[in-house]
Amino acid sequence: MRHASFIARTVLVQNGNVEQAVRLINRIMGREGFLEQYRLTRYYEKPYQTRRRINYTKCKAIYNEDMDRKIEFLLRKNRVEPYPGYC
Amino acid sequence: MLRQAILVPRIFSFLERSVLGSGERAGGLLAQETCKATCLLCGPQSSSIKRPLHTTVPRSKAEDRKEMLASMPKKDEGTEGEKTIDVDLLSKRFEDIFPDENTPSRLFDGIPYSQLNICDIKATKNNTIISLNDHKGKALMLRSCGMEGFKNTRQGTNIAAQATGISLAMRAIAKGFKDPVRVRVSGIGPGRMSAIKGLSMGGMNVVSITDSTRVSFAPTARARKQRRL
Repeated sequence: MRHASFIARTVLVQNGNVEQAVRLINRIMGREGFLEQYRLTRYYEKPYQTRRRINYTKCKAIYNEDMDRKIEFLLRKNRVEPYPGYC
Repeated sequence: MLRQAILVPRIFSFLERSVLGSGERAGGLLAQETCKATCLLCGPQSSSIKRPLHTTVPRSKAEDRKEMLASMPKKDEGTEGEKTIDVDLLSKRFEDIFPDENTPSRLFDGIPYSQLNICDIKATKNNTIISLNDHKGKALMLRSCGMEGFKNTRQGTNIAAQATGISLAMRAIAKGFKDPVRVRVSGIGPGRMSAIKGLSMGGMNVVSITDSTRVSFAPTARARKQRRL
């Protein structure tokens, strides 16, 4: 399905600030995965490579989730004893 | 000229080795003196030489290619905006940034948006082609990096794309296409961002930026195999 011309994937330039508009559209395209998909589909990705990539992404997501939880836990502010074990 | 200047020290080292012998290595000053004593380019007899001496040192193609690639600017895919987060943007209103149902009839310098000229930018890995078209699709102008004088590898750079953008903008204004223009970018390449920057630097009034990169999330015909370098 093709996107509607000049309505979808379009950013209007404000106050002649072209660079900001370019950065904005690049950011949105990147965030939504268009650019990565373009890079992936340039050349054929063999099934074993696909499986490897997906497994790596899954492991990375699990690790990041737990790490973020740990960091959030350590950065809590309202603690009874702010420096436990510190004399 | 530059090549000769680079080669001159090599000639000295050749002569130095031949004068002192392969085993010996004199101190810096002594080597220079002995070199100057025998060297035809800077020695006592150099004033009598009317013709410049041209010598070439054997260079391998691999060495030259490595040098050239090292001197090339870094690969830039033109998507540096991907990872930066603009905090100011969050506070601004999003009404004027994205088009809505009224945008096609909205006037820019007295011309409705749907009838503005379109500037298509095709940014590939090796080149950037910019073309100015009518709103109906009729071609008005076309410029590419090769037309600007860049050849081969240098076409696939952001500098070349910027130069192309500037050139097209100036020629378009000279021909009379002074109206605001909507830009449509296609592909990821070094010239993606620089071409638009070049257009605005050249004096073109860019009104909107569209991305029409051909991407499919659905299974497509099998692409070519990966390059193995």
